[in-house]
Amino acid sequence: MPRTMPRRLKSPLKKHQDRWGRLFVLPAILFFSVFNFYPIINAFVTSLFRKKILSLKPPTFIGLENYRYLLTSADFWNSIRATAVFTVGTFIPLLLVSLLLAVLINEVKWGKKFLQMAYYSPAVLSSVVAAAIWLLIFDPRGLANQWVNFVMNTPGVDHNWFANAIMVQFATMLVYFWKYVGYFVIIFTAGIASIPGTLYEAARIDGSNSRQAFWRITLPLLKPTVVLVSVMSMLQCLKTFSTQYLFTQSGAPQGPINVITMNIYHTGIRDQRIGRASAMSIILFAIMLFFTWLQFSTTKSEEVTY
Amino acid sequence: MKVQTAIPAVLMRIILLIAVVFVLAPLVFMLTASLMPASDIVKMPYRWIPQGIHTANFVKAIAGNDGQFMFIRNIINSLIVAVTVSITTVLISSLTGYSLSKFSYRGRDVLFLLIMATMMIPFEAIMIPLYMVVTKMGIQNSYPGLIIPFMVNAFGVFMMRQYLITFPDEFIDAARVDGMSEFAIYRKIILPNSGPAIATLAILAFRAQWDNLLWPLLVAQTEKMKTIPLYVVKFTAEMHTDEGAMMAVALIASIPMFILFFSLSKYFVSGAAVYSSRKG
Repeated sequence: MPRTMPRRLKSPLKKHQDRWGRLFVLPAILFFSVFNFYPIINAFVTSLFRKKILSLKPPTFIGLENYRYLLTSADFWNSIRATAVFTVGTFIPLLLVSLLLAVLINEVKWGKKFLQMAYYSPAVLSSVVAAAIWLLIFDPRGLANQWVNFVMNTPGVDHNWFANAIMVQFATMLVYFWKYVGYFVIIFTAGIASIPGTLYEAARIDGSNSRQAFWRITLPLLKPTVVLVSVMSMLQCLKTFSTQYLFTQSGAPQGPINVITMNIYHTGIRDQRIGRASAMSIILFAIMLFFTWLQFSTTKSEEVTY
Repeated sequence: MKVQTAIPAVLMRIILLIAVVFVLAPLVFMLTASLMPASDIVKMPYRWIPQGIHTANFVKAIAGNDGQFMFIRNIINSLIVAVTVSITTVLISSLTGYSLSKFSYRGRDVLFLLIMATMMIPFEAIMIPLYMVVTKMGIQNSYPGLIIPFMVNAFGVFMMRQYLITFPDEFIDAARVDGMSEFAIYRKIILPNSGPAIATLAILAFRAQWDNLLWPLLVAQTEKMKTIPLYVVKFTAEMHTDEGAMMAVALIASIPMFILFFSLSKYFVSGAAVYSSRKG
């Protein structure tokens, strides 16, 4: 008896096929190595050096000095603050409103398709186009003031959408919220559609009303989707750039909305301090990894079966 | 299912309707303002119906401040980049997805995990090293520089793999018995039978490039290599006071996406809904 049995006996034909399989995966592996793995490793290494893009001086190794600098820099903490405020202020309303709209769409009988398409339509626009439209809406004589004054009955008041530090942050959140709310409505609608109707029927026979049905059936079964949507929207918000960039280029104050990505861009490209910019990149990467890990660790144990 | 409702039906409809107004009003504003002279746009209250068509907005939008008609060139650039990226994404993703789902070589699952791991790497964190890679390759400020870093992405590979896992092996085996080469099987059997997945993926890739601001901001240094988002930013910053022309630019920049959206809305929705199918 042979000491070890080959795990799988492969015919020559199978081996021949598998060679092709390896060949087919090769382009992608090469691509991801050069354009994903190498850059992230490079970013990590560069973050330990003092390095300027066009400088002829060789980069000097400074260990964690870039990180130390950033963690004591008011400018960087301001970026962390701007990003955190934007993320929290955007993804929570996004989550709640899109969930509410999806549930309501599911309840009405008519126009489901139209409502979904209408809500989704802003997501079709480029981010910069969305920001440009809202730039005009936030004009002192623009629609934002007209609407707010109409609702609050304060005729002729300018709410300083750009001049005021808090309002300009709110303005960027509103643009983002407007652009993506329909996208998440679609995701939630698909999630709700996957809940079998028999569950609701059983609940109705048992005499529960629709409020109970929502809290006891829809929400628990939708939990994986809720977690997914919150993490996805959170990760997207952490990377926000276009709205802030267009607003500041068009005269909005930079301080309140100087999010991390914009800081990386300015530090790395305009000031050419790529060592420091790389350290920022790695910090952003770490923050996002943390939230991704959080998602996996909260959803793994909650696979739902019907 | 309809039971006695927790929220009165009327209130539900009012909420849905307010949301529709909130979502559509800025779009209607873009459309109407692009047809108005600037003096009408900042009129209070805003008149939603244009008094005529103010074509000067579109002339200014297309000709630009300097009269160089750079917008047209930038639109062509965006189309070239977005179409090319869509094609390469579909081809490489499907080839890779085919390999990862229908072959059983050693290390296959490790490779799959490695590719999935790249989803965790945000573009914003690697853009500066990427910029240096592209500079070293000597392709900054060129179409290859704009296109190559986005030729394929992990999400595309993931989607195609999941799609092809359920593809019946019998078809593939039958083709092998017929003496078809492995690449011919990919080209003549796998690709033609992946229509919906390919359409969804192509639209996602096209839209991502149409919307891409950050990367062209780094690599497209001359006006001639810039793409639409860069033009919109520059035009908005320079022509802040010419609201009509700004909205004309915004409208023109959105037309291709709206055409795609109205003709292929099914695939836009499936692109978003991919995330909510729990089993992936």
